[in-house]
Amino acid sequence: MFLQTLFTGLSVGGIYALMAVGYSLIFSILNFSNFAHGSVIMLGAYMGLGLASKFGLKLGFVVAGAMAGGGLLAVLNERLAYRKLRHRNAPSLYLMISAMGCSVFLENMVYVTIGSRFYAFPEFFTRRVVTFLGSSVSVMDLFALAFSLLAIGALGLFLARSRTGIAIRAGVCDMTMCSLMGVDTDRLVALVFLLAGALGGLAGTFMGVRYLVYPTMGWITNKAYIAAVIGGLGSLLGAIVGGVILGVVETFISAYVSSILRDVFSFTILIALLVCMPNGLFGKSMEERV
Amino acid sequence: MLSVKDLHVHYGKIHAVRGVSFHVEEKEIVSIVGANGAGKSTIMWTLAHVLKPSSGEITFLGLPLPEKPHEVVHSGMCLVPERRRLFGALTVSENLVMGAYMRKDAEGIRRDMERTFELFPVLKGRLNQVAGTLSGGEQQMLAIARALMSSPRMMLLDEPSLGLAPILVDRLMDAIVALRESGMTILMVEQNADRALEISDRAYVLEVGTIIMEGSGKDLLDDPVVRKAYLGELA
Repeated sequence: MFLQTLFTGLSVGGIYALMAVGYSLIFSILNFSNFAHGSVIMLGAYMGLGLASKFGLKLGFVVAGAMAGGGLLAVLNERLAYRKLRHRNAPSLYLMISAMGCSVFLENMVYVTIGSRFYAFPEFFTRRVVTFLGSSVSVMDLFALAFSLLAIGALGLFLARSRTGIAIRAGVCDMTMCSLMGVDTDRLVALVFLLAGALGGLAGTFMGVRYLVYPTMGWITNKAYIAAVIGGLGSLLGAIVGGVILGVVETFISAYVSSILRDVFSFTILIALLVCMPNGLFGKSMEERV
Repeated sequence: MLSVKDLHVHYGKIHAVRGVSFHVEEKEIVSIVGANGAGKSTIMWTLAHVLKPSSGEITFLGLPLPEKPHEVVHSGMCLVPERRRLFGALTVSENLVMGAYMRKDAEGIRRDMERTFELFPVLKGRLNQVAGTLSGGEQQMLAIARALMSSPRMMLLDEPSLGLAPILVDRLMDAIVALRESGMTILMVEQNADRALEISDRAYVLEVGTIIMEGSGKDLLDDPVVRKAYLGELA
């Protein structure tokens, strides 16, 4: 039971981490909360669902398709709803409001076109389990965990080593100076949205597989926000650690205490942290960021 | 090489630069001196096209200044802004990689890296140090080195001596002269007017957004009005 709960928790935590990393990446470079990130995740789930049920594709292709779709959607979102505001040096509050508008718009577009029905993914592994040290662990959980680790690891390596990754970190420090180094900052921001959206598409697909696909499932990004706050807003390592901690703790609460108390617990953590430890585990001081 | 005609820049409602004209020829060191708030930095940020002029004409290498800041860098002009603005969380070597961001020639980048270390030997031993932890002098060296990595034809230096100890100012001015010897064109603005004028071929005196005087560095250095107004000398 313990080991099984731990693996489920890690797999949920991996998905939270995927969402939180994308959210944090955008926060760190543009300094605003992209509330439309949840809608990208939701639409990523619908895209994955379509590929899996309409075309009967294998998991790998479904994931690749959802990542590509989520990435492109996020880029489009930035291009249409944020770029003009950025060029005008609008306060980040305006960007946040625009993001909320996008979120409501996308959600309602789904209601209008696809409807409010809840959809389930076709079974990829027909509830297959492997036995591990006497506990049964779901194969899907292992896959979700492996994909999350792989995606986050690849992103980390890209940010640490590649020239473009260095440019993204430089942009986090000082966007204007980044443009004075000859970096086309519009393209850099688009790339950040592409990465965040791709991770969102991946997260959405696994959320959909684990639970269901429905128009308001994007609100799960509240969890990503909590994860990011636990780790420290704007810190990628913090987002990962925060996501995993939250996923594991939630799963244990559901398993050993009560699944109804799960969200009560998560949001209590959020408020307590904001009051007592606003910089989280790895965050920069807030005064510096604002 | 660079020519500015009747430049006006507004900061919101503030008319910060009011009809400024000047030019910089190849391999010159040209200074703009003036008091705090005269509009010196505004001119620099406008030349980098981070600020947009309200009117006026800027041509660089015979062409109108490109629209976007990164295109200005690609055209061969690089700004080292006031207070250096390094990427503080990145290492020294990552800062230099950023300087060379737009270049594709690995061989040339390596050669320029060597040349940079000849100019600023102190940086070589600190490649893996986080830039934010360097001393003020080292940060200024890195800021100039970073700009050099883009292999510019012309550098804009905004208050390069700000916050440096006098001995470091000497070394910095030597480095600027050495850069010119190697073919670089330099436009700098300085509050530290006497040090800037000493090494400048020509200079302009800026007061409340207008150029009130121009001449060779030496002439301005000897000019009683300049001495009184900007070099803190009692008449």
